[in-house]
Amino acid sequence: MSRLSVALRKKLAGFTLDVAWTAGDGVAVLFGPSGAGKTLTLQCLAGLLRPDAGRIVVDDRVFFDGATGVDLPPQARRIGYVFQGYALFTHLTVAANVAFGLRSRPRAERLRRSAEVIERLGLGGLEARYPSELSGGQRQRVALGRALAIDPALLLLDEPLSALDAPLRRALRDELREILAAWGTAAVVVTHDFTEAYRLADRIVVYDGGRVIQTAPRAELLWQPASEAVAGIMGLRNVLHGAVVKATPERIQLRWRGQTLEAVNSPTRSYLPPPDSPLAFFIRPEYVRLIRKDRGAPDPAHHMNLMSGRIVGEADFGTVWSLRLRLDAPGAPAQGDFDLEVEVPHLVYEILEIERDRHWQFSIHRGSIHVLPA
Amino acid sequence: MTPEALDALVLSVRVAVVATLLNATLGIPLAYLLARRAFRGRAIVDLAVTLPLVLPPTVTGYYLIVLLGRRGWLGQPLYAATGWSVAFTWYAAVIAATVMALPLLVRTARAAIESVDRELEKAAYTLGRSEWRTALEVTLPLARNGIVAGLVLAFARALGEFGATLMLAGNIPGKTTTVPLAIYTAVQTGEMGEALVLVLALTALSCAVLVLAGRLGARAA
Repeated sequence: MSRLSVALRKKLAGFTLDVAWTAGDGVAVLFGPSGAGKTLTLQCLAGLLRPDAGRIVVDDRVFFDGATGVDLPPQARRIGYVFQGYALFTHLTVAANVAFGLRSRPRAERLRRSAEVIERLGLGGLEARYPSELSGGQRQRVALGRALAIDPALLLLDEPLSALDAPLRRALRDELREILAAWGTAAVVVTHDFTEAYRLADRIVVYDGGRVIQTAPRAELLWQPASEAVAGIMGLRNVLHGAVVKATPERIQLRWRGQTLEAVNSPTRSYLPPPDSPLAFFIRPEYVRLIRKDRGAPDPAHHMNLMSGRIVGEADFGTVWSLRLRLDAPGAPAQGDFDLEVEVPHLVYEILEIERDRHWQFSIHRGSIHVLPA
Repeated sequence: MTPEALDALVLSVRVAVVATLLNATLGIPLAYLLARRAFRGRAIVDLAVTLPLVLPPTVTGYYLIVLLGRRGWLGQPLYAATGWSVAFTWYAAVIAATVMALPLLVRTARAAIESVDRELEKAAYTLGRSEWRTALEVTLPLARNGIVAGLVLAFARALGEFGATLMLAGNIPGKTTTVPLAIYTAVQTGEMGEALVLVLALTALSCAVLVLAGRLGARAA
């Protein structure tokens, strides 16, 4: 059951936004690179920008319909908008900011509601402060409070964490998730950071160049990006190119760097390309298993997609080591001077004495090779 | 101080205060429209408001006579209907001062309004405010320092206006002779003592305005 249905067309100088997606309860994240049209979409939702064509419906209320000429002004939409820089009224106190959208209500009701919002967001004691006297996290909560106070039909948040420093970002990402869950307001969040998108979203809409290239529940997106373009925007590593050997609804066999690899076909969208067609796939660096040399010869039944290679580069990321492996197979490496990026925890790195031992056999479970439909 | 000098001083203050009030009522909405709205004829309005800043005051005064003089485009019908003309009255001094001061207020206030983050206005729209209420509750309060500065400049300009006032209002002692005109007359007739008194009075008044403006600006910041 979709609460929000969006179809928009808007032509601007050198850019065309042409998107359609729906979302239900909970949080929908518009995810994609800067300049993909995410903020433009929010402005159209809020009525701050008029689309050329399309239809926007929130909870059965038609906000915009290019065909019938319906176009509710922002004042009539009851949408809470948290702007990227928060857009707090710097000449008003915290209390006046939060109560700003309540002007049409009776005074007693206005005071009660703004006190309630201030209390729930932990802003008690800051009522008389001005925005310039608040920390970044407090400002974010005031912006949220101002938007939530009006009981919005929909809450829009534009890059809500981008104005904050890295340590605070992490803490506030979790806090924001809790606030959104606690208030239960349907929300649309814009971000270009996949971790942020994944953390906040129930559903993710992937934007690229003014278009939507995938819409999926967050777990599905994580494991089944619909294309190489989506994988690229998500920042996935080890996006590789091979050729199909044989495809069945369950399995896909593919040829890559002289090896024949076996992958599980997508469980939701079986993909059956003919033999020899090019195929993109990706392997998560943390799902490559190095084979211990002290446990005897590898068992082919247990270790699928067995390969061997040499470590040609490594980098320490504090909790994990990232290793660059080059296959023993002849031919040019797939990614510059290496074939695969492999991630191992520090503990594993020490136990296996990887610092000393640079040549390894490794295996990849077929479920960890993800095909990317063309 | 002679009674004539005192008359000039009182008249000058009265003209400058009324001209500044007129500037506020005309200039602030005009500055808002120029800063925030695209409308037909915007470029012409902008030009017309700004011209007195660059034209010699006597040229502005000449145009005012063409417009408002007894045989002017507006002045003649008015004279024909009522037998009264604005020329050579203290109202003429107010009009001349207003027109000369307007570009200073409009330009300063407009820059201040343009520097208000539009996202704040958009936020106010989503919170139910009309454009008109948003201007009153968000844009203008946030542009307050610039608007106050513009009003101070306008007051100072109105107080010191000479050329356009002389053209439209003349130099009638006790009626249209403001302090700058009185100083000119005194010097012309060799009454240097009288001139000095008026010069010092005008200097003191200008300093007082600047100090007051500084106080207002500090409080608003």
